[in-house]
Amino acid sequence: MHAPRSRVSPAHTADRGGRSVFAGPLTFVLIAFAALAAGALLFFKPGDGTLRDGDAAAAMAAAAKRTRPALSADEERYIRALWPIHGDVERSTMRMSLGQIFYTTKDVDAGELKTRVEHALAVYKSARARIEGLQPPATLRAQHDEYLAAVRLFEESASEVMKMFSDGREDHLLAAHPKGQAGADKIREIGGKFWPQEFAPH
Amino acid sequence: MIRRLLLTLAGALVALAALGIPQLLQANDDRGRGHDDDRDDHGRPPQTLRSGFESSGQLLRDVAWSEQGPKHSAWIVESSRFLNVPHRAFQPDVGDPPTVDLPVNVGIIKSPDGQITLYDTGWKQLAYIFDWNTSCCWYGLRNQMTAIGLNPDHVTAIVVGHGHWDHSGQLSEFPNAVLYIQKEELKQIDFFLDYPIEFNNGNIRAVNTVNPRTGEQVGPPQQACARSPVCGYPPQTVQEILGKTLAHKARIIDGRHHLAPGMVIHPAFRGHTYGSQLLQVNTARGQLVFGSDTYSSWTGIRDWLVANIQQTDTIQQFLAYEKCYVLTSTSQGNSFNNCIAAHEPTAYTAAYPITSNWWNIPNGNCSRAAELVLAPGEATHVPANPNRTPASQCVSTIPPHAIMK
Repeated sequence: MHAPRSRVSPAHTADRGGRSVFAGPLTFVLIAFAALAAGALLFFKPGDGTLRDGDAAAAMAAAAKRTRPALSADEERYIRALWPIHGDVERSTMRMSLGQIFYTTKDVDAGELKTRVEHALAVYKSARARIEGLQPPATLRAQHDEYLAAVRLFEESASEVMKMFSDGREDHLLAAHPKGQAGADKIREIGGKFWPQEFAPH
Repeated sequence: MIRRLLLTLAGALVALAALGIPQLLQANDDRGRGHDDDRDDHGRPPQTLRSGFESSGQLLRDVAWSEQGPKHSAWIVESSRFLNVPHRAFQPDVGDPPTVDLPVNVGIIKSPDGQITLYDTGWKQLAYIFDWNTSCCWYGLRNQMTAIGLNPDHVTAIVVGHGHWDHSGQLSEFPNAVLYIQKEELKQIDFFLDYPIEFNNGNIRAVNTVNPRTGEQVGPPQQACARSPVCGYPPQTVQEILGKTLAHKARIIDGRHHLAPGMVIHPAFRGHTYGSQLLQVNTARGQLVFGSDTYSSWTGIRDWLVANIQQTDTIQQFLAYEKCYVLTSTSQGNSFNNCIAAHEPTAYTAAYPITSNWWNIPNGNCSRAAELVLAPGEATHVPANPNRTPASQCVSTIPPHAIMK
């Protein structure tokens, strides 16, 4: 990571230690920037670029801004109850996915991968039972069923991976993946609706 | 007397040997485990991982090596745009204007033989970006490429600057391309899934957070990922990386990697995330260095300001800035102008000179493209009469994206 300044030829030094070397070009570049900025200000209307104003901007903001409809008390209760299950499912599928990646890179052995998959399988089974015990309001029945379908996909994916530990055939990993991917796609879509702030922007 | 003198001399030799041999062994050990050309490795700061360290000498040798390779063409396209982001949340040292719009840029590099390398792949999770009310202008990367005259089927390699879901989001759209990602990036996700809480009593929690005292899942929004050390890696993204791995379409690398003649991957560990990486590209205007979120802000690189701090060690971000300065130091005076930022607010304007040749992607939902540099013989992809509708006057739409009504 570190690029020691003392090891950079002065002709190539552009950091603080080499400012004098770049003084000429830097001055030129700064003057060029100033000229470009002045030109841009003259050429474009104020507010162009990163700042928006006017009717079109308002229309764009309105188009981009679509708030989640207010939830009923029953909906809120259901979504709150699903949240801890969602966390368990997410962590398990992440551990299992990474375990498979590290198995292929030989950073974990079959024993550790098996432990991860067995744990995930137990979590999925538990999650399914917990979700089936929830009473979704009619308005969220479709999402409830969709989430259950996702958990079943994760279960099937984990079961497929488990076969590798019986017969030693690594192609079970490949066979298992589409179901894991489909499950992840589903919970991401539902999660994006139920918990819109789950993953903050970076 | 002589006997005493000999004994003293022998004692001194033993003491010298005792002091010197371990150091000698250490030096041999360093050389034995090091890279083939890391003669400067003894200058490695103690806080940096060996595989993440590159000396200035190594970087300059990479410049010389890259300059022997073919010259590439390069563009950026805007995958989507964050709207009205509090400026200080992005750049703590810059406060005006109070909010900014941030593009999410993807690099497209075309070799003279027609093969295309992507640097990052943009957003995929549309429900998130639109329903969280922070973004506009998303348009699928394959469609963007087609609209600017590039064939998405020619993408053979994808280098992700890091694995966050706004930069690694459309991996599955390029099933034949080989993904390049740092092992360190994957290791950190795995580590933080079991983030140790014995030292903080759960104040800093793991992904999708659990209260370690009660076992209860907490939040969001009170305890969302924003407070945890690692966030931005939904299972969906990790599954896509797994899919690439299982299909033998992933190279999980550890540090510097010569991707192809004229293209070098450089580690920038903790420049944004633990396994962040840069891509150096040989072009007619010298070396370009794509930096994803390690180079979130080009003005940050220019003016030496941190930006978009996540799992970032700010020193490492500055050192990654220095890498760009070193790698571009022979680039016809372009220097930091050749550092390509992911979220620079002034992108697609003359204020960020290398992106000034921009245009709205045709039917691209207000997303923009910029032609950075052309290889000899490559015709421009900028239309004869480019649409350059200012952001303030372009109305984007929200594409269909949800299973929920």
